[in-house]
Amino acid sequence: MEFIGFGLLYGLAVTAPALAIGMVGGKAAESTARQPEMAGRIFTVFILSAAFVEALALLGFVLGILVQGKL
Amino acid sequence: MEVLKKLPEEVDLLLRSLSTLNVNGQEYKPTEFVLSNYIFFMCVALTVLAIIMYVAVKNLKMVPDSKVSNAVESLAQFVRDDIAAGMIPHGSKKYFGFLATLFFFILTSNIIGLIPGCKPSTGTMGVTVALSTTVFAYFNYVGFKNQGFLGYLKSFVPHGVPLAVAPVIWVIEVFSSFLRIFTLAVRLFANMYAGHIILGIFAILTSLFIEPMIEHLSAGSVVGALPSIGWLALMTALYLLEVLVAFVQAYVFTLLSAVYIGAAAEAH
Repeated sequence: MEFIGFGLLYGLAVTAPALAIGMVGGKAAESTARQPEMAGRIFTVFILSAAFVEALALLGFVLGILVQGKL
Repeated sequence: MEVLKKLPEEVDLLLRSLSTLNVNGQEYKPTEFVLSNYIFFMCVALTVLAIIMYVAVKNLKMVPDSKVSNAVESLAQFVRDDIAAGMIPHGSKKYFGFLATLFFFILTSNIIGLIPGCKPSTGTMGVTVALSTTVFAYFNYVGFKNQGFLGYLKSFVPHGVPLAVAPVIWVIEVFSSFLRIFTLAVRLFANMYAGHIILGIFAILTSLFIEPMIEHLSAGSVVGALPSIGWLALMTALYLLEVLVAFVQAYVFTLLSAVYIGAAAEAH
């Protein structure tokens, strides 16, 4: 049972961040297409937002590993 | 897949080696005072950083001709113009030293951690919480100094909030500013820790599949070793990603510190 839980953990932890990172990437591509001269600035914003979102996914992963031994 | 049977114990070994141990690889009690592996690599990172900085500023010129000077100057300029000046509207020069120290220390630690056999000192909660607590103390100091004691306490509530709900908003804002210690630390820690676990797992998979071929060479064992080429390719790709992550996490940590300092430095 624990193994199933741990297997599910990563999958569940990344669902929302996956949606979010898709949105961030899509919007970044869209705004670069609209205003190519702002590409540098948009890329910075994209990397930043991606880092914030990524932290959430990694949090689930790392907490899972840290908790795994203590169940 | 009988080669995969060894995977769990190898992963356990990997997780054990990534936990905080004595520098000689033994576990220690919380009450003991020892040099832990992460603190050792933090000292290594600090030494390397000090040497690089010394070489970079040894003979300063108007047009730098050494590669080290050029590299350090371009990074320092990036911190000054993009991070400090971009996020702190007035007088960003005063805070440049603090931000550049943070940026270079985190960057050096992350890059050192990517060398096989070394560990990133930012991959443990002890170091990252220390860093984020320093940031917390610094931006509160800047706030109290620039806006005065009562002025800074009042600045937690935005303008235009009705008087009735202002105390509730104040409590929430103060609480969320304390949460910044936690979020800053965990973001950096989780990125470095998870990155190294993933790199380690791919390295283990590569070696597990190639092991039978090294033990005795035959047609069957060569075919069995073919997946390790794929694992190796994936590991290389992830390694390159980790180099990017090392830069991005140093950038994000410094940028957020600059945002907090900028918000505390001025009444808004």
